[in-house]
Amino acid sequence: MRGVAGGRNLRKILTGLRTNMPMLSLQGISKDYLTDGQRVPALKGLSLNVERGEFVALVGRSGCGKSTLLNLAGAMDFPTSGTVLLDGVATSSLKDTGLTQLRREKIGFIFQSFQLLHTLTVFENVELPLLLAGKTNPREVARERLAWVELDGLGERYPHQLSGGQMQRVAIARALIHSPGILLADEPTGNLDTITGNVILELLRRLTCEQNTASIIATHSLEAASLADTVVKLRDGKIEEIIRR
Amino acid sequence: MHLFLLFYRLMVRPLLREPARTLLTISAVALGVAVVLAIDLAGAAATGSFRGSMETLAGDNDLEVTASGGVPEELVGTLATLPYPMRVSPRIEDYAVIADTKKSLPLIGLDLVAGASSHAQNASKFGDELQAQWASKQTLEHLGDNDSVWVGSSLGYKTGDQVPLLINDQIHEYTVRGVYSDSNGNEAAIVMDLSAAQRALRRYGRVDRILLKLPENSRLEDWRQRLRAMLPAGVEIRPQGAGTDENRRMLAAFRWNLRLLSYISLVVGAFLIYNTISVSVVRRRPEIGIVRALGASRGVILFAFVGEAVCFGLAGAFIALPLGRFMATGAVRLMASTVESLYVSSRPGPIELSPASVLLALAIGVGVAVASAYSPAREASEVAPIEAMARGRREYDARVRKGRDLWLALILGLAAAAASRAPAVAGKPLFGYLAAILLVVASALAIPFFVALLTSFSSKLLGRLFGVEALLASRSLAASLRRTSVLVGALSTAIAMMTSVGIMVGSFRQTVLFWMSDRLPADLYLRPAGVPAADRHPTISLELAQKIEKLPGVAVVDRLRAYEISYEGMPATLASVDSQALRRYPRSNFFSGRRTDQVLAELRDSNAIIVSEPFSYKHQVRTGDSITLSLGATQATFRIADVYYDYSSEGGTIVMSRSTMLRYLPDPTPSNLAVYVAPAANVETVRAEIEQAAAGHRVLMFSNRDLRAEAIRVFDRTFAITYALEAVAVIVAVMGIAGALLALVIDRRRELGLLRFLGAATRQVRKLILIEAGLLGLLANFAGLLLGFALSLILIFVINKQSFGWTIRFHWPMEVLLAALTVVYAATVLAGLYPAQVAVRLNVLEVIHEE
Ligand SMILES: Nc1ncnc2c1ncn2[C@@H]1O[C@H](COP(=O)(O)OP(=O)(O)OP(=O)(O)O)[C@@H](O)[C@H]1O
Ligand SMILES: [Mg+2]
Repeated sequence: MRGVAGGRNLRKILTGLRTNMPMLSLQGISKDYLTDGQRVPALKGLSLNVERGEFVALVGRSGCGKSTLLNLAGAMDFPTSGTVLLDGVATSSLKDTGLTQLRREKIGFIFQSFQLLHTLTVFENVELPLLLAGKTNPREVARERLAWVELDGLGERYPHQLSGGQMQRVAIARALIHSPGILLADEPTGNLDTITGNVILELLRRLTCEQNTASIIATHSLEAASLADTVVKLRDGKIEEIIRR
Repeated sequence: MHLFLLFYRLMVRPLLREPARTLLTISAVALGVAVVLAIDLAGAAATGSFRGSMETLAGDNDLEVTASGGVPEELVGTLATLPYPMRVSPRIEDYAVIADTKKSLPLIGLDLVAGASSHAQNASKFGDELQAQWASKQTLEHLGDNDSVWVGSSLGYKTGDQVPLLINDQIHEYTVRGVYSDSNGNEAAIVMDLSAAQRALRRYGRVDRILLKLPENSRLEDWRQRLRAMLPAGVEIRPQGAGTDENRRMLAAFRWNLRLLSYISLVVGAFLIYNTISVSVVRRRPEIGIVRALGASRGVILFAFVGEAVCFGLAGAFIALPLGRFMATGAVRLMASTVESLYVSSRPGPIELSPASVLLALAIGVGVAVASAYSPAREASEVAPIEAMARGRREYDARVRKGRDLWLALILGLAAAAASRAPAVAGKPLFGYLAAILLVVASALAIPFFVALLTSFSSKLLGRLFGVEALLASRSLAASLRRTSVLVGALSTAIAMMTSVGIMVGSFRQTVLFWMSDRLPADLYLRPAGVPAADRHPTISLELAQKIEKLPGVAVVDRLRAYEISYEGMPATLASVDSQALRRYPRSNFFSGRRTDQVLAELRDSNAIIVSEPFSYKHQVRTGDSITLSLGATQATFRIADVYYDYSSEGGTIVMSRSTMLRYLPDPTPSNLAVYVAPAANVETVRAEIEQAAAGHRVLMFSNRDLRAEAIRVFDRTFAITYALEAVAVIVAVMGIAGALLALVIDRRRELGLLRFLGAATRQVRKLILIEAGLLGLLANFAGLLLGFALSLILIFVINKQSFGWTIRFHWPMEVLLAALTVVYAATVLAGLYPAQVAVRLNVLEVIHEE
């Protein structure tokens, strides 16, 4: 534990030296959806910076644009106007291969419904991003990540042999397998009971710190908000309020 | 009404939402049904309405008098002078070729003089037009002329035109004296006066058939008995058209076998419907649960899924109607050439899409659809409402009982082995078919086990070899074991059918090649020009044979003569060999294993014969048995000295020595000549000499190599239709694979989207789908090859032997198989391209948030 913590500080300093850029920078972004020729504005000119090691809770009523924002931040979608900079790179400037590369190196995703592959074991699920990126010996890394989420020894199981909380932990281990700079989670506790949800949130918060990632968690949970370094309140596609602690 | 609305909303709309997949399934069904329809229509046109060409202008008679080698002409007088009110019509029946258009037509000699003078009594004897012409003064003058012919109107000649006709080996000019209407039941033919026809064919003193019209209300059998007593022993008296019936019976077997082949595509189509409905049930299990929870009964669910299949069946059948009609035109051509070269001369009739065939197509389409959808539909109806809340997929797939199915497969395999040992039933290899069906079912049952085994063993290895995409692909195939098995089952069945028929035809071809290598000992062969057909034996002028014999470079000329006869109600060929010169070959062509010269020596000047293997098999006779043949006017008993392997005709052949045949059938003109070149002479020089000698005769000359090549060409043409049928089956299977992969992509869109989130490049997603297609293809090829090998054994040693009586040596046609399997494999992988493209184009955000 101590080793990890020491490493964290060192890395924080190094990253800070290398670049002054925040990990994620949203600059005046708007997003309109087109439905049946109708423009539906989901985000309306919003700016936000998230640093490494920062744990951000994204809150707001349903339909306020949380998922939309996460999609833009993860370069899965692009703003109608404005710029999304991921580690200093504008996502809209990248082609498909560049985006794939970006996802492989910098982004980790966590979903409300876990999204594990039923046909793969826990180990295999966790290793998947590394394998897709063409890395050869991912088992050791996977073992380590499973230890982080306290699932040692469950590696050979299949997802359906796990509880919901365990599945979400596998998903977290998978999201962290390639040590991403940014972790995006869309209601990661939405399918879990309150207590399990809180355990997951604690875990996320701790790993954000230890791994020095920028984490953005879209959530309805008040617990999440209370754990966060920064709480971003959205309302009708705009930032209503940013609370930093 | 509300049920249909529900059906539309819950079943039809989802289908419309996946148009590509729906279309693929429908086209697969359509193709399957179309093939069956096409073969049925073509069969009806090429063989079903088979009416011997020789029945043209025969009119309505009761009995016919025939004899092998022709009926002595005196009998016409004998019969005509009997004190019975009976109409006697002698006929000459052969073929002529219009020299400039090469069109081959029946040549019919009728007793025109008698017909015209007795016109009043025999009102229904010939077409009205022709009668009127013959009755007219002007025509009467020409009736007896040797160069007068009457032709069918469809040939386009006018009275007074000149027609050059090739008859046997000579061309003469004839003058058209009149035209008859050949639209209603009569074929276009060349009609001559009886004596002119006899002269043209050099068939003096004989006629081919005497037709008898009895007084009204007479009992056929009584008359037959009465007349029988007055006729010589060798002459046969039987109901008119008995020959046509014999041929029809022989063709029925041929048609039956083709029809079975056409069912292959249908079986493959059935697998695919089963697959489609299964997929539809699996992926909609939660939905079914919800609908059940909302109050739908089991019956409604069953109805819905069977209804879905009925939609596929109906839509497929409707497309199949024009498609089948179109394919039938091609099939007719292929079939007609098979019939012509293997069986009898006949002209295909028109293709008619009758109401019966429309009903057949609908019944087959819907029937196959419902039958194959029933089991998954029942499964759907058994979904409990609680499953609306559960994750159904995994439990469902776990329900494949692969262990139990493997045992069942073993038992069925043993049953198949037992069935293959059973004898034919009424000449039909019913147990052989049963064995084949059992094997197909057994393999379908065994496939889940092997798919599970192979994928579980191979996934790690594949992952290492081809990367993570291969690991994912093999896992996903193993995970949906049932679906994978059905797909592998469908494709492997198609491949197995293709392989087995391929092996059978290849073995057959090899056997024929091997057999021919010592069947044609002479250097040059001559036969009259004209259209070759299994039942035509035109002759070569005797002078020509004699002239050739005297050429300096010629050692010996063998004269071969063949007649088409009827033995025990089945057509057969009676042939004679000269056997003056015999070259030795190391291999024996006989069951006894004796050398050819030994056997032929036994035939000379004795009532010994040899028969071909199909003859021996069809009539259940073997070496040492005696058979009675009617020859000319007499009947004689012959001893079978040996049975020889023969693959040239299906009807069977009886061979005697030339001297023996001449004793019964004194016509010395040969049908073929086999020329042995003198040891010192050069074959090409002799060939040129013969060509010179043959000036004025229309004969074709072949070296033994030409003849072999020609035989193989005929062989390949004969089997072209089987290849075509297989190709369609494989196309159906590949379309099914494309459809199934598409379903797989649509089902797994969430997973595919997720992979993109986790850093998969589009290239990797495409690779994943293509690897799945490749794995499916590999499994199917492997299973198909195994099953195909087993089926080919049944085809060669049971079905073929029992229906045709041919002994075929097993032979792997390597090149053909390799080429075919490669094509199928490539097609399977290519079939994955479109689904792969769909997978790549999925909207990642939508699919991941869908659930
Ligand atoms: N693909 C789309 N097409 C059209 N409109 C969309 C699409 N996706 C989202 N929207 C609209 O954009 C707005 C923001 O949606 P978003 O999914 O970001 O909300 P959210 O904050 O994540 O809500 P929730 O908390 O319910 O998940 C909503 O009004 C929604 O209707
Ligand atoms: Mg959302």
